[in-house]
Amino acid sequence: MNDIYDEKMEILVCCGTGCLANNSYRVYERFKEILGEESEVAVKPLIKATGCNGLCEKGPVVKILPKEIAYFKVLPDDVDDIVEKTVLKGEIVDRLLYFDVNERKRIVSHKDASFYKHQHKIALRNIGEIDPLCIGDYLKRDGYRALAKALFEMTPDQVIGEVERSGLRGRGGAGFPTGRKWNICSTYESFPKYVVCNGDEGDPGAFMDRSIMEGDPHTVIEGMIICGYAIGSNRGFLYIRDEYDLALKNMQAAIDNAREFGYLGSNILESSFEFDLEIVRGGGAFVCGESSALMASIEGNIGEPRAKYIRSVEKGLWDKPTVLNNVETWANIPPIIINGAEWFNKIGIEGNSGTKVFSLVGKVKNTGLVEVPMGTKLNELVYQIGGGIIRDRPFKAVQTGGPSGGCIPKEYMDISLDFESLDKIGSMMGSGGVIVMDDTTCMVEVARYYMEFLSEESCGKCTTCREGINTMLKILENITIGEGQLDDIDLLLQLGETIKEASLCALGKTAPNPVLTTIRYFRHEYLEHIKEKRCSAGVCKDLTTYYIDSELCTGCGLCSRRCPVAAIDGKLKEPHIIDRDICTKCGNCFTVCPRNAVKVGGANYEC
Amino acid sequence: MNVKIDGKYYSGNKGETLLELARRNEIEIPSLCYKEGFEGLGRCRLCLVEVIEGNSTKTVSSCVYPIRDGIEVLTNTKNIVNMRKDIIFLLLLRTPNNGYIRKLAEEYGVKAPSRYLDMEREEDCILCGLCVKACEKLGTNAISLVNRGITKKVSTPYDDASKDCIGCGACAEVCPTNAISLVEQDGKRIIWNKTFDLISCTRCGKCYSTEEVLHHIDEQLGVKTQEYLCESCSRRLVGEKFKEAFQNLI
Repeated sequence: MNDIYDEKMEILVCCGTGCLANNSYRVYERFKEILGEESEVAVKPLIKATGCNGLCEKGPVVKILPKEIAYFKVLPDDVDDIVEKTVLKGEIVDRLLYFDVNERKRIVSHKDASFYKHQHKIALRNIGEIDPLCIGDYLKRDGYRALAKALFEMTPDQVIGEVERSGLRGRGGAGFPTGRKWNICSTYESFPKYVVCNGDEGDPGAFMDRSIMEGDPHTVIEGMIICGYAIGSNRGFLYIRDEYDLALKNMQAAIDNAREFGYLGSNILESSFEFDLEIVRGGGAFVCGESSALMASIEGNIGEPRAKYIRSVEKGLWDKPTVLNNVETWANIPPIIINGAEWFNKIGIEGNSGTKVFSLVGKVKNTGLVEVPMGTKLNELVYQIGGGIIRDRPFKAVQTGGPSGGCIPKEYMDISLDFESLDKIGSMMGSGGVIVMDDTTCMVEVARYYMEFLSEESCGKCTTCREGINTMLKILENITIGEGQLDDIDLLLQLGETIKEASLCALGKTAPNPVLTTIRYFRHEYLEHIKEKRCSAGVCKDLTTYYIDSELCTGCGLCSRRCPVAAIDGKLKEPHIIDRDICTKCGNCFTVCPRNAVKVGGANYEC
Repeated sequence: MNVKIDGKYYSGNKGETLLELARRNEIEIPSLCYKEGFEGLGRCRLCLVEVIEGNSTKTVSSCVYPIRDGIEVLTNTKNIVNMRKDIIFLLLLRTPNNGYIRKLAEEYGVKAPSRYLDMEREEDCILCGLCVKACEKLGTNAISLVNRGITKKVSTPYDDASKDCIGCGACAEVCPTNAISLVEQDGKRIIWNKTFDLISCTRCGKCYSTEEVLHHIDEQLGVKTQEYLCESCSRRLVGEKFKEAFQNLI
């Protein structure tokens, strides 16, 4: 018999949100049906529904342990095949293996895949490996060992000292040293004190916090209890985005479980320490991810930020000393306490220790969640892990840090991913969103899109943010429809600087970044829109005409078949022609043409 | 606490904001959302100043910035003035027909190119939030800031006539841009989509307040007023009583 039949065999079915949407729960159920208690199959592997594995684009993901076989894009119908071949015979189902675009071959264990092998998982260490609803799984992987160590082997000051020495900085975007925050808060003799977890992740395309709350909720809870012990707090709140249904469910289940096992409540682990947690459902506004707006929202007030001349470590929630950290920051605390500050400090670069989770999305081959050491180069992220640009089109820019991050051009592809380096070139770390753009992206439209998002999501409290963003949006809208004028660029720059300097909170202070960086690095695109009335990416429809270069066209007919409105005519093997009166400028022909014969002309292009 | 403002030293109290200290010493810092007696709101951003503390210089809104010993403040640097102009420019785009804002723009030499101005726009509110604060201070909480971003506005719940509104008009009174409509006609007052009957002074007969306001005052003070008097009649009454008492003394 093959040694794969040993009883330790585990089948891990990813049931993170991405995979669930692709029917992974049905896959899980099918495994249960075939291999469950009542089945007649001789092998009884342990079947688990885990959190997100990161490579959502290739989901649903099924991993089979201990052989580390990973299958991607598994459908419920594939389950019989997997059981018959892999579970019973130890054979591999080739068609379900991961195809590595860099190495151009199929790979058996996900750990050898380019997407995973360059990663270093700390915050995401348990996700995809454990059943988030099973506290036993967490305990098996050192769960709550850090809490026991802190409570019985360390004083509160030693805990704070360890976190300070680790150099951990807030992963929510501001990068404030976590240990220093705890330290300052611990010095205030005002009680009660509060510990808050910011789980109101709202950046479009970012889902690292969601993934942690869904896939490894206990690590967040453990981090928060340790902080409570360190600063002398007995109560914590988890503010979770209301749209995150599964995160709310798993987090609540984990809290109940932890209470049952004596990790929350009074006399934690039979010590004299008392701490409990409560979930607050988010108010549904992007701005509630800003710490002072978040606290206002917990208090039941409108989610508006306040001036932070007095920090929340002194006067936070209900004017009491409060430590607020982001989900990912909390997930880093238990490993730091177990392994020590020195261990953490060796990962990453000086001043930016540890790892950062990025959500790599956009025009990149492997999209998903990626955890890499701080200081990793941007091109390693995009090309090694991300596998490069879809269809190998030319790279144009990367936007980091969420909607108010900046756009980074290819000249800076070797930039180190750390707080300071990103700031220096006009972008930011933010919560770690990385959106890759290719040559079919219009940078003016990108700026306009983010201004639109922010104009709706600004809380509207202060003039500069509310009116400023809206005014910038209107100017950008004019440019994208061909009504821009040259002095619009100067006005955008001037308003951008004022909004950054004069706004009340970080939302306003960073909002102009997409506009300022696109003007700084892609000014030629603005000029092209304003002077030539042309959008070379073919995105701004008022400034675009598609035409076919008859010299290049081989008459393959692909464009004509893909045209949704039958605007392209031509005989096979003869140059085709686009009828402008019918064309809706969807750009399908442009993307599919194998010869690049479809060209983008300006608004007034004459054939 | 010693604070240096524009080269001169001033002594401030603990907990005082920079704008309070400046106003107390008659130093001009413009603002739209500040009202004496209310805490600073930090909304309009016009009261920006530069604060130098040690090696760092930062821009702060003086209405919410608590003073610290030894700081130096500059209220009129070129940078600050330019930012104020931009803020007024933005407010002018929002309320192009409002007299107060237009005057302010004129004072600061702010001109908005006509292609950015939408003269059709009928908006007077600059969302300074003073009205909401006044309503909150009165203990009525009938209006509040609703929505967010560019759709933010001041309103009653669901824009309906609010059962909490007592028609006192404090909101209209504190509004710097005269944006709140308060109409009095035929013994009635209309404000925030609600019509109130006005009470006349029992002495002179002048309509002076709403019944709801008088009830609210009684409730707050825990008394029952016997006679409803307008402001001038009640002042006259106090005078008469004083005179009477004085004559008795003689």
